[in-house]
Amino acid sequence: MTQIIIQGLLLSGLYALIAMGFTLIFSVGRVLNLAYGAYLMVGGYTFFWISQTLGAPTLIGVIAAGLIGAAFGAIKYFGIVRTLRGNHVAIEISTLILAVVTQAAVVLVFGDSSKILLPILPGVWQVAGASVTLNILTAAIASWVILIGLWLFVTRTHTGRAIQAVSMDPKGAALSGVDPDRMNLIVWTISGFLGALAGVFFASYTQLYPGMWVAPLIISVAVVIVGGIGSIWGTLVVAHIIGFLEVLVPSRLMADLIGVDTSSLRGVVTMLLIIGVLVIRPRGLFGRAEL
Amino acid sequence: MIRWHHVLLWVVFLAVLMALPPVLEALGFKKGLLRTLIWGAYIAVFAMSWDFLSGRTGYISFGHPFLIGIGAYTTAILSYRFDVPVAASIPIAVAVTVVGSIFFILPALRVRGSYFALVTLAFMELMYQLTQVIRPDLTGGTRGISGIETLTRGAVNGYYLAIVVMFCVALVLWTLNRTRLGTALSAIGQNEDAVSGSGLDPTKLKLFAFAISAAVAGLGGAFLVHYQGSVAPRALFDINFVFTIIVAALIGGAGTILGPMAGAFFLIVLLEYLRPWLPGAERYLIYGGIALVLYMIQPKGIHAIIRHLARPNPAGQR
Repeated sequence: MTQIIIQGLLLSGLYALIAMGFTLIFSVGRVLNLAYGAYLMVGGYTFFWISQTLGAPTLIGVIAAGLIGAAFGAIKYFGIVRTLRGNHVAIEISTLILAVVTQAAVVLVFGDSSKILLPILPGVWQVAGASVTLNILTAAIASWVILIGLWLFVTRTHTGRAIQAVSMDPKGAALSGVDPDRMNLIVWTISGFLGALAGVFFASYTQLYPGMWVAPLIISVAVVIVGGIGSIWGTLVVAHIIGFLEVLVPSRLMADLIGVDTSSLRGVVTMLLIIGVLVIRPRGLFGRAEL
Repeated sequence: MIRWHHVLLWVVFLAVLMALPPVLEALGFKKGLLRTLIWGAYIAVFAMSWDFLSGRTGYISFGHPFLIGIGAYTTAILSYRFDVPVAASIPIAVAVTVVGSIFFILPALRVRGSYFALVTLAFMELMYQLTQVIRPDLTGGTRGISGIETLTRGAVNGYYLAIVVMFCVALVLWTLNRTRLGTALSAIGQNEDAVSGSGLDPTKLKLFAFAISAAVAGLGGAFLVHYQGSVAPRALFDINFVFTIIVAALIGGAGTILGPMAGAFFLIVLLEYLRPWLPGAERYLIYGGIALVLYMIQPKGIHAIIRHLARPNPAGQR
C-alpha cells in the first residue's frame, strides 16, 4: 500500500512535468505539437552526450539539455509555426513530420541501439518498507519545483499574465497591447525547455532510444484530453490520476481486490479513461467550455 | 458529371499499370522493384482511405493504422485460427472494420479539430495495447501471427492483385467524390457550420466518410495481410506508419484521388532508391526532410504544383 502511494506520487510527478509543456502550447496556441516528444528525446540525448560522453558535471548536462530544448522550440516556432500561421492542420502535420525527422537524425548521430543513462543521483532510499531510487525521487522533486516555478511565472509576472490573456482571447490580448506573436514565441521556448528537462528525467527512468518520443506524447495526449485545456492545476491533478492508475492497475493489491490478474492492462486503462471522459464530458474534467 | 474522357483516362491508367511488369522486365529491372511497387500500391490504398476522411473533411486522423489493424487482424485470426476461407474472411474483415470503427468513433465525433486528432492517436495506442493483452492466444501477442495463407505467389501475381485492389478503390472513391455527397464532405472541410446551416447533418456526413474510410482501410489491411502472410502489432500500430500514409496523401495532394496514389508511389520509390546510399533508418531523414520542405512550399501537394505550372493563372478556372 505504502509502496503504491510512494510510487504513484513519484510517477505522477514525472507525468505532470512531461505533460505540462504540451498543455501549455495547446492552451495558448490551440495547436497540437506532435513533435513534443522529440523535445524529450533531444533533451535526453543532449544530457547523455554532455554528461556521459564528454564527462561534464550532471548539473551542466541538465542545463545544457534545457537550453538546447528551448532553442529547438524557438526554432520550430520561427521555422514552421509562424510560417504556417493560422493553418492548424498544416502545423500539426508538419510537427509530426518533424518528429520523425528528429528521430532519424538521432539514429544518424547516436545509432539505433538503446542507451542506458546513468542515474542522476545514485543510491536507494528506504522509506516505510518501500525502496525508492534517489534518481526517480530527484525527478519527482524537480518536477514539483519546476511546476511551482511555472505556476508563479504564469500567475505572478507580467509576461505570465500576458500569456494567460493570449490563451483566453488572442484578439482581446492584442487590443490591450500584448503582442501575441511574442507570447507564442515565449511559450514555444518554455515548452521546449520543459520538454527537454522532462526528457532527462524520463530517460533516466526508462531508457534512451530513438523511438522514445512516442510514449511521452501519448501521456501528454491523455492528460490533455482528460484534463481539458487552460489550467496548470488541472494538468497536475490529471497527471496524478493517470500516474496512480498506472501504478495501481498492474499491482498485486488490485489483483487481490478484484480477483483478476490485471498486470498487463496498464496502458489499456489510461486509454479507456480517455474514451470515458470524451463520452461523458468532451471538454475534459477541468477544461474551459469552448469545444 | 462523368464524361467520356474520364472513362478513357481510367482505361489508359489501368492499361499502363497492367503493362508495367513485362515492360519493366524487358527494360532489365529486377523483381525487387515490383515488390516496391506492391508496397506502394498498398500505401496508396491507405493514403486514399486517409484522404477520404481527413483530406476532405479536415478531421485529421493520426491513428489510421487502427482501422487497418482491425481489418488485418480480423482476417488473420479468421483464416489462421479458424480456417475460414479467404473469400469469406476478407469481406467479414471489411464489415468488422466498419462496424468496429463506428463503435469507436462515436465518442470521437463529439469533439472537433485538434481534439479529434488526439483521440485517433489514442485509439491507435489502445489497439496496440489491446492486441497484446486481450486473448494473446488469438492475436499472437507481441509477436503477432505469421504463416497466414497468402493469395498469390511471386512478385508479378502479387503486383496484379495489389494493382486491381488499388484501381477498384480509386474508381469507387472517385465516383463517390463526384456525387453531391462528395461535395458536401468537402464543404465540411471548409466550414462545418455553413454545412449544418444548409440543412445537412454534419455528424451523419462525417460518420459516412468515416465508414467509407474504414471500409477501404480494412480492405487494404486484409489484402496486405494475405500478401505478406504475417501481421505484428509493432509494425502496424506504429507512428512511422501513420507518417508514411499521411505524407503520401499530402505530398500527392489532399482532396484528390490521383494525388495520394502519386504521392505513395513517389515516396515509396524514393525511399527504395535511397537505400544504396543510406541503408537503415537514416533514409527517413532525407525522406522526412523532402516531405517537410515540399509541404511547407505547397500544403496542397504535387498535384497543386503541377496544376499551377500547367495553368499559371488558375483564376476563373474553378
